[in-house]
Amino acid sequence: MMEPQSDLELVQEVRNGRRQAFTELMRRYQQRVYWVARRIVGSHDEADDVVQEAFVKAYLALGDFRGDSSFFTWLYRITVNLSLNAVRKRQVMNYLHESELLSRILPSSDDPGRDVEQQETESALERAVARLPEKQKAVFVMRYYDEMTYEEIGRVLKTSVGGLKANYFHALRKVQEYMRNENERGKEPPHR
Amino acid sequence: MKMKEEKNPPTDEAERALVGELKALAGEPSAQAGRGPQDPYWANLIVRTNQRIDRATSPRALSISWAARVAIPGVVAIVSFLVALHYYVPGDLESHTSVTDVLRAMPVASVDSLLVDPSRADPSLSVADVAPDVFVFSNDQIADYLSTHGSIRAAIDGLSDREPSDLITALGSDDN
Repeated sequence: MMEPQSDLELVQEVRNGRRQAFTELMRRYQQRVYWVARRIVGSHDEADDVVQEAFVKAYLALGDFRGDSSFFTWLYRITVNLSLNAVRKRQVMNYLHESELLSRILPSSDDPGRDVEQQETESALERAVARLPEKQKAVFVMRYYDEMTYEEIGRVLKTSVGGLKANYFHALRKVQEYMRNENERGKEPPHR
Repeated sequence: MKMKEEKNPPTDEAERALVGELKALAGEPSAQAGRGPQDPYWANLIVRTNQRIDRATSPRALSISWAARVAIPGVVAIVSFLVALHYYVPGDLESHTSVTDVLRAMPVASVDSLLVDPSRADPSLSVADVAPDVFVFSNDQIADYLSTHGSIRAAIDGLSDREPSDLITALGSDDN
């Protein structure tokens, strides 16, 4: 039986023009990439777009990949950055939609039914994560869900372990506080 | 990504305790994955991503990308440089466009010493008209100037051996 190829071997094959090797890399990591994106952006549709964009970006930039970190760490970094960009873009759009001027131009842009549906499908934990500042959110997703070590997270975010620990701790406290309030309120829908 | 450093980062025990409490409240994180997309989605995702890569690497997309990143900024930079070069005029030259303006800005005594015949200072004069002969004076002009302002001896001290005799001849005097 053939030994599975390492990531670096596959990367080398892609560089040599064998596109199929990149499909193998996608198959290997698409679920992990999807869940990172999904937990940061908070919705399936946006995560779907981020995953595709991350792989396209990785494919186009494969020539710049020097192998200082693992392929997955590199791909993970691309995904986290794209996810945070998507969140920022959405925040700007939300702000514009909330402004009076735009609501006059686009009177039917809000869909209350969609919001209710969204709230029903996402868990309280996802709502709590969605409220975190972006850096804490990224650290929380990598540490809490993916159980990555601080060193791995540090390589993805290019930051120190001390700062990451503090960020994770703050994020844990905020999420916990939110969850407690949710439990106390029972089934009452949260204010966003 | 820049993170704020803390003087006393939280201990591992404190973190573990907090995670334990959170799991008790929210359940195990791995349980969420079960609510994710099903197998057909993953197969389809690879197909759609490959299509997107095809579009991004098509000659048309690459040429648009090249144009956006290299060609357009390059052309804009070159055109801006040429336009700036065409319209660039040093500030000092622009503010003194005529000899008259320059002369008016100078003390009267300086004007007399520079331009031996002030009557020639005409508003229609340009730098090109005056520049070649501002410091080139005929013997008559020198004689007129020295006879008007006196101080003949001071002028003679700076002259060569031949020039004083020429000057004295021009002034029509044997002694001074």
